[in-house]
Parts: sequence; structure tokens; C-alpha cells
Amino acid sequence: MNKIVKLFITSISAITLALVSFTSSFAKVDGEYIVLGSAISLTGKYSSNGVHTQNGYNMAVDRINKMGGVKVGGKSYKFEIIYYDDESNPKRAAQLAERLIKQDGVHYMLGPYSSGLTKAIAPVTEKYKIPMVEANGASRSLFTKGYKYLFAVLSPANQYLEVAIDLAVEKNGGKPVRIAQAFEQDAFSQDVRLGILDAAKRTGSEIIIDDKLPKELNDMAATLAKVKATKPDVLVVSGHTKGALTAIRQISEMKVDVPMLAMTHCDAAKLSKQHGKNSEYALCASQWHKNLSYKDKFFGSGKKYDKDFKKEFGYAPPYQSAESSAALLVFKDAFERANSFDRDKVRDALVDTEMQTFYGNIKFGPGGQNVAKPMILFQVRCKGDTCENKVVAPTKWASDKFYHPIPKWSERG
Amino acid sequence: MNAVKQKDLILYSGLIILGLAAPFLFSAFKVQLTYLCVLIVLAMTWNLQGGEMGYNSFGNILFYGLGMYLTSSVQVGMFFPLAEWTESGGEKTFVHTTAQYFQGIGVGLIVAAIIPTIVAGAIGYAILGLRGHYFAICTLGLGIAAGEIAGGIEIIGAGQGFTTPPFPAEIVDPEARGQFFYFLSFLVLVLAFVFVKYIYGSRFRLILNAIRDNEDKAEAMGIQTMKYKIVGWMCSAFFCGLAGGIMGGLIGYIDSTDVAFDGREMGVFMVLMAILGGKGTLWGPIIGATLFHFLKEGLWTFILGWQYVALGVLIVVIVVYFPEGLMGWLREKYPERFGEVIDEKDRKAQVELK
Repeated sequence: MNKIVKLFITSISAITLALVSFTSSFAKVDGEYIVLGSAISLTGKYSSNGVHTQNGYNMAVDRINKMGGVKVGGKSYKFEIIYYDDESNPKRAAQLAERLIKQDGVHYMLGPYSSGLTKAIAPVTEKYKIPMVEANGASRSLFTKGYKYLFAVLSPANQYLEVAIDLAVEKNGGKPVRIAQAFEQDAFSQDVRLGILDAAKRTGSEIIIDDKLPKELNDMAATLAKVKATKPDVLVVSGHTKGALTAIRQISEMKVDVPMLAMTHCDAAKLSKQHGKNSEYALCASQWHKNLSYKDKFFGSGKKYDKDFKKEFGYAPPYQSAESSAALLVFKDAFERANSFDRDKVRDALVDTEMQTFYGNIKFGPGGQNVAKPMILFQVRCKGDTCENKVVAPTKWASDKFYHPIPKWSERG
Repeated sequence: MNAVKQKDLILYSGLIILGLAAPFLFSAFKVQLTYLCVLIVLAMTWNLQGGEMGYNSFGNILFYGLGMYLTSSVQVGMFFPLAEWTESGGEKTFVHTTAQYFQGIGVGLIVAAIIPTIVAGAIGYAILGLRGHYFAICTLGLGIAAGEIAGGIEIIGAGQGFTTPPFPAEIVDPEARGQFFYFLSFLVLVLAFVFVKYIYGSRFRLILNAIRDNEDKAEAMGIQTMKYKIVGWMCSAFFCGLAGGIMGGLIGYIDSTDVAFDGREMGVFMVLMAILGGKGTLWGPIIGATLFHFLKEGLWTFILGWQYVALGVLIVVIVVYFPEGLMGWLREKYPERFGEVIDEKDRKAQVELK
């Protein structure tokens, strides 16, 4: 028995030694490449949004590399990203961040998808003083922990649907409304909930249903039955892509009549395509929309980004892709201003970021969140059988009027 | 006899030296090595029920998650108001001093070992009367229920998750955190090994085996099976709680269903590792966990997106070709090496009989 054990231990030591010799062969800057690292959800419950994020990153890498790369110290460098699959699991994400930094020698990180995973990775990047520009972690608590190396190009999660409540109150003649809400049990959706609670307090509105949805979200019939019985003025749902799809599917199946339906992740779920007319009138919070008038020299306008992205990946870019692309523009800008690969200099340059991208203005607040960009709301509207997302708020970019209240199912064709 | 002991001594001291030197030799792999220690502890203690007692538990993840939440809660709660720390939005951030951090985690780990043990006793009393598949399914439910319940408790962060205290900033060496958690997990591994090894030489193991082989007969022989089953489960819970506490601090963020009560991953892995190595043996779970971890870390990144398919195939291969695990397979192939004497004539006679 001991012989076998010994043999086994010897072989393990040999493998380990081989692995050790592998490490540190990579570096932050490898020849003409600047190596970035990212853990992305390619499998698991966030896999569709993980892929949106990855596509956004890849699109920006290609574009920046093609258009001359990143100029540091008079030399031109190209971006390269090392990806790992975090399986939508925070534990795995933290482990992979460690691996990217310690074993692959990555000195600059791009964020994962979702607030929960970003929360797991941030302590690691912070410990090693690795600047991370993230595009998909919106939870407010990320920005109150005093992280110094975390930069988010997106607006915090609590801002997502606050405006929707204001809008509902306005439509109600300035009088408080009755709110029904259902949120997935995860960091992001719970933060959206906080925003609603704040808005409800501010407007004196009453929350009559406050449900929690499980993580593997496939059914919310219980909540909808309550909505049918209590007839609230607004129904708010947030649960990433699955939440949006489940809500629309069951609302149309159960013919739930509610004057206003506010959600998140409608574009990532391709609601207007997947559910067509059933998704009409849904009001959705979004970080970005192609009709916004922001511009940059790499992607041009939002509309051009939309077109190029469609050509490359075969579907319209959700905001998750747009914000991910913007993260690389931020990195490029910071590298060039720092004119160095020193992590602390790059970090200081990131702090001073003040730029416009096709995705929006970017300027980081003290907690690392983007303070220069408002959230927008769009509404799904259909003409015949083709449905589209039309921006309805804020008024500066509104292409259509907000349609309220949603007609009853019995009146919808 | 003495010669064997001397051999053992060399082996163990070699392993301990390797274990102590590992974080310095393979500095970049410290976190993976910490995971390995924790995985071995989980597999080894799962083996006490699954292998020795014949009660396949999917519920050990309950103690692991409980330990994780308890350690971090105590670590925070000893010095700061826990409710404000975990309050959604986390407007307030408290900073642990170096002394507070280590005191907190120390006390936290003690609590994380004791409470799950008590919980195991209580739950065990209620459900260890179930046998076979009924027990397995019941424990599976325990883990899932715990995850959902934890996701609704505000004081531990509910669905927002719980960010565990960051490693003290006064310790500037970025390697220190990795080393601290590695040695902590290695210590628990050594404790668990010594404990399991002790059990292997004791009457207690024979009783567990008797329960596995025929519980009714064991009962008829006058063994109070219920008592021993509960004690067996409590032993596992003790180490699962410790392992969870360490992992919580290492990961830095606790999510109710994905990190703490992670039955889908950790809960399945611990069973898989024990079976892969060979359940009912001392070294089987250790070898299984090591092999599994190496496969997972080495191969999974090369088959991005397909790793769970590979895992499924691995499970099928193990069940079909190595139902007794690697140790069982080796034992069948080279019985002499395991100290089993086989009478050649007897074996032939048996073959002929068949």
C-alpha cells in the first residue's frame, strides 16, 4: 500500500513541478500585446449575458487593435484578453481572478458579468492592487466598500428603475401609487429593489407586494396571482434575463392586467423578438440605447455600433455588450494618458478619466462608479408584428411618448 | 510491525514537510493548494458516512455553509454591528484592525466547528432513522432548503450576499493572505487526517462498518446503531464547519446558494471525490480529491464551456469502470500490495466453481 501511495505522491510532485515551470511565462505586457484578464460566465445561469459581455470585449479589442492599438511610450501595443469560464459562480470567479493574477501574470483586469461575481473578484484585485475596469457589476455596495482599483463604466443598480416610479406617480396626477414588486435573490436585483424602496418613500407610494424570486427563475405565477387579485398601479420585476422572459411569458399566459410593467434586462433577453406582441408596453431600464447621441472615434455613434455588432455577431447588441466595449475604450484612454504600464500610474489615470464614448460619458466618482451617465428607460412598441425598443425617458433622447396605461388583455389584438 | 511503522513515519513526515513547504515552492498556486486541502477534508469526512457507515449523505454541504456564515458573522459581529455591515447597500464600511481580524476568525472558526456539530446531532436524531435512498434524498433537501432560507435572512446579507472582512491592510505583503489561509487549511487537514486515522484503528470504525454491512444484525448484536450513526455524522459536521469557515474567509464573498450551500458543486464534488478514490478506505478520498482537483484545474480551462460535460463523462466512467474507486481497483489488481494474502489454489478453485 505504501508503495502505491509513494508512487502517487511522486507523480503528483512531478506534475506540480511541471506546472510551476509554466508560471510567469506570461506577463502584463507580452511583446506587442497588453494582456488583460477576465473571468466570464460562459456556462451556468448567466451564460447568455456572459457571452454578451465577451462579445462586447472582443469587438472592442478587434476595433482598437485594427485602428492603431494603444500608444504607450511612442510604441503601439495591441490588446489581448485571457478568458476563463467562471460558471456563474462567485467562488469560482474569485479563484480564477487569483489564477489570472498569480499564474498568468495579468496586471489589468476586465470585470465579469453580474454584481455578485464582481463582488467576489473585487477583494482579490484590490489585494494585489490590480486595476479592474468592470462593465457589469452595478450593485451599489460595490462602490461603498472603499475599493481603490475598481472602476465601473455603468450607473449603479439602485438607479435602474427609480425613474419608473417617478413616471408612474406623474401619470397618476402626482398622487402616490401602489407598487407590486418581485426581485430575484441576487445582489443586483436586490439593489434595484433598494432603489424602488427609496423612490416609494420619496413619493409616499405604498408597496403592496414585495416578493422574492429564486435564483433559478422559471416561475413567478404566485406573485402574478397576487397581482391579479390586488390590482397595483405598477408591477416591477427584476431577475436578469430569465426574470424578464419568465415575467412576460406568464403575464401573457395568465392575462394579468396591470397599468404599468417595469423591468430590467429586456434587451439582453431579446424580449421584443422572443415574445413579440406579448412584450409590448413593457417599460425597461437600460444603461444604453443605440439612439443616444454619444459619439467616439472608434465606434462612431450608437447606431453604427449597433450595425457593426449585428454584422459581426448576428444579433442587436444589448447594453451589456455596449458597456463592455466601453470598458476597453476606458482602458486604452488610461494607458495612453498614463503613458506607462505601471499599475499605479494606470490606476491614477483611470481616476482622472473624463471622456465620451459611443456608450455615454464616463467619469468616475470616488467609489469608482460612473457618475456622468444617466439611466434611460425604453418601452417595447410594436408595429404590426415587428416590435422595437423605443426610448421614452429621459426626455432629451425620447423618440416616442410613453404609452400609459397598458391596455387590458381583452382589448389587445 | 515496527518496520511498517517506520515506513509510515517516513511517509507522514515527508508529506508534512511537503505540505509546509508547498506554499513557498509553488507560490503562485497557494490558493489552489488551499482549495485542495479543503476538498480533501470534505472528501475524507464524507467518507465516514458514505464509505464507512454506508449512509450516502448529500447534506454535509449544510455544515460547510453553516460554518462559512458563522465564521464571518462572528468575525464581524464581535467588533461591529453585524446588521449594519450586511445592510443592503453597505453604506457603512468598518475596518478590522490586524488583531481584531485574527481574533475574529479564530473565535469564528471555533463557533463554526461547534454549532454545525450540534446541528448535526439534532438533525441526525431526526433523520438518521431513514435508510438508503430515503436518507440520501432527505439530506439533498436539507442543503437546498438551507440555501433558500439563508437567502432570506437579512442579517447575513440575504440575496445580496455577505462580503467577509478584508484581510488587514496593515499587512502589506500580498502573499500573506494566501499563506495564512493555506496554513489554516493545512492544519485542519492534518487534524482531520489524524482523527480519521485514529477512527480507522478503533472499535468505532468496526461499528460503522457493521451498520453499513447489515444494520439490523448490528442492532441485534446489541449495538445502539442510532447513537453511533449520530456521533459519526457529528464528526463530519465538525470538520465541514471548519472547512466552510476557511473557505468563506478565502473567497471573500458569501452567496447563499452559490458559495455557502453550494450543493450543486461542493456537495456533489465531495461525494464524487470519495467515490473516485475509493470509499471506505483511508487514502481513497485523499487520492480522489487530489486527482479530481488536478483534473479540474488542469483540464477545465482547456475545454471552456464543456467542462460540465466532461464532468458528466467522468462520473459515468467512474461508476462503470471503477465502481470501487481507484483504491478498490488497485486492491483488486494487486491484492498483495495491500497486505492481503491470496492462496493461488483457493483462487483457482473459486474460478472453477463459478
